[in-house]
Amino acid sequence: MSTDRDSESKWDWEIKATSNWWDIGFQEAWTYRHLLLGLVKRDFLLGYQQTVLGPLWTLLQPIMTMLTYVVVFGKVVGINTGHTPAVLFYLAGVILWTLFNDVFTGTSASVRNNINLFGKVYFPRFIVPAAHVVSCLISFGIQFVFLLLILIYYQLFTAWHAPSGNMWLLAVPAVALVGAQSLAWGMLFSVLTGKYRDMTFVVNLGVRLLMFLTPVIYPVQYIAQKWRWVVMLNPLTSAFELFRRALLGEGFVTTWQLLCNGSLTLALTVVALLIFNKQVSRLIDVV
Amino acid sequence: MSDVVIQIENLSKMYRLGSIGTGSLRQDVQRWWTKTVRRQADPFFHLDAVGQSGQTLWALRNVNFEVKQGEVWGIVGSNGAGKSTLLKIVSRIVRPTQGIIRGRGRVSSLLEVGTGFQGDLSGRENIFLSGYILGMSKAEIRTKFEEIVEFSGVAKFLDTPVKRYSSGMYVRLAFAVAAHLEPDILILDEVLSVGDADFQKKCLGKMREVSRSAGRTILFVSHSMQAVANLCDKGVWLQQGQIKEIGEVTHVVNRYLSTAQHLKLTQTWATPDEGPGNERIRFRRVALVPQLAHADDPLDIRTPLTVQFEFWNLGPATVISVNLVLFSYGGECIFDVPSPATLFQSGLVAGECTIPGNFLNDGSYYISLYVVKDTTTSLYDLEECLAFDLADYRGEIKWYGKWWGSVRPLLPFSLRQS
Repeated sequence: MSTDRDSESKWDWEIKATSNWWDIGFQEAWTYRHLLLGLVKRDFLLGYQQTVLGPLWTLLQPIMTMLTYVVVFGKVVGINTGHTPAVLFYLAGVILWTLFNDVFTGTSASVRNNINLFGKVYFPRFIVPAAHVVSCLISFGIQFVFLLLILIYYQLFTAWHAPSGNMWLLAVPAVALVGAQSLAWGMLFSVLTGKYRDMTFVVNLGVRLLMFLTPVIYPVQYIAQKWRWVVMLNPLTSAFELFRRALLGEGFVTTWQLLCNGSLTLALTVVALLIFNKQVSRLIDVV
Repeated sequence: MSDVVIQIENLSKMYRLGSIGTGSLRQDVQRWWTKTVRRQADPFFHLDAVGQSGQTLWALRNVNFEVKQGEVWGIVGSNGAGKSTLLKIVSRIVRPTQGIIRGRGRVSSLLEVGTGFQGDLSGRENIFLSGYILGMSKAEIRTKFEEIVEFSGVAKFLDTPVKRYSSGMYVRLAFAVAAHLEPDILILDEVLSVGDADFQKKCLGKMREVSRSAGRTILFVSHSMQAVANLCDKGVWLQQGQIKEIGEVTHVVNRYLSTAQHLKLTQTWATPDEGPGNERIRFRRVALVPQLAHADDPLDIRTPLTVQFEFWNLGPATVISVNLVLFSYGGECIFDVPSPATLFQSGLVAGECTIPGNFLNDGSYYISLYVVKDTTTSLYDLEECLAFDLADYRGEIKWYGKWWGSVRPLLPFSLRQS
């Protein structure tokens, strides 16, 4: 091109064959913030469309699951939850696991479910998983408040005592770890499920099995010393233990573990975001 | 100061033909194993029947053009010419294989009516959601909300889930949102083919208003040459991914219509042995001669068409008549016209019949010729020997929907004040 150089600098955008790995366009994504909120709203409206109990399900689901766990694993199997009341122990595990499960399965389906939309209109693709995480976090928030209410009840009316001081602040990094990991794995798997339908089954089965490797229904201390390393390999383990440690005062976690886990999660999230961003536009040609 | 807002340079897009991705992880791993590890041929690569030229298809090949501020471009071409691919690349949905597009200003694309609509949500919620997806901000939608609702005419049903809308209402609402987008560059793909006549007129009017008054740049794909000719200033004709013609819209549309029509206007056979037929009849020539003022003009519904044919009567002297049968492209018979029956000696017989202009509707047609003995017995049927397309012509009529009917005869018709 021999046109004057001045005008070339005036281009706002450029579409080329190759994309830069780092070309995520956060600035551009900001202009789509309303879309993100719109999608969150859509998730909520759709989730409870034509239901009788509506948003109440957000609470009913973890409550019913927790009660089942209390009966099956607490009473029948007899898993020892230490000094923590079984109700609190299972409820904390269940809501954190629900967060992981919902973010991960939802995100991993985000390419497959939206490929039509992606093929018709452009917007930064990671808005879709981001919106999903936000709506999951809102549900989690509601459940978390419920957990706090139960916790206060136990504090006031039973001999059990919540951890004192600012321990509860540690729940924030625990939730952040779980959220980031589920989002990162979800984005990686969404690219795979977009391309390979087999992955849908892997995801469903994997999540169900992973729950047993995560201290949801048992504390890490319950596991025999010999096998504990298996559970500790799971990056979710330290986050779950930290969450319980922060709120219930009992949890098996070391600072070193958390630092390792934190930096791993950060790296994983960055890699997943880059891969997602780059691969989705390529998937549109394939699917 | 250059006012070029889109610059397309050397743009190419390649698609792979045949099944490359197998769609299952097990097979992909197996393929990776055979190809990369054992270095053998790809076990899952099947070449498509259409891909004889290689394993790839160039949906676009070295496309270059520049769009200036405020211009309305019409992109025409037959199916598979690369029109939609071009729009998808400009809208950033897919990446080009080669080349570069540079541009200025906000781009919004409407490649489908109702993108992002959610059947379970109400009309009101869908206006917002669809607006966000198309890149509008909340404030923008709020200020335009009344206008959108009014334009769509579904005010009464705003709080009803759109899945309960009639398809017309759905489309109207969807288009209304898109019509109120205010991007610098608007990309539209075949959006007028939906909706009723009234609404189409409204949409075209809206688009014209937008491009003329607001100086917005529009790229527009349509199969309706009428709409393209009416709305656009500039045209590009794509053929097999390449630019065939570019320039003023009337020129491009005329060139496209006159040559892109898939015609079988003449067939000739030198000797009786080559011609189609049997021991009694052999055809020598069939031809459709349009009576056009200029050779370059497209065949449209105003054009008279003369069918000429010659065949050898190989048998003895026979009373022969020929039926000219015209079919629509869908196979429906439009008419079956017999010639007078005449006694012919053996030798060459020639015939001619003219289909008047202003008689057929626009569309694709084919012709069969049936040779009959004594007006009762079939001698030979020459099926589908001629095919032609008639383009639309509407003159002053500003309605762009598909015209009903097989024929559109010009009948004496008057209206008067009484």
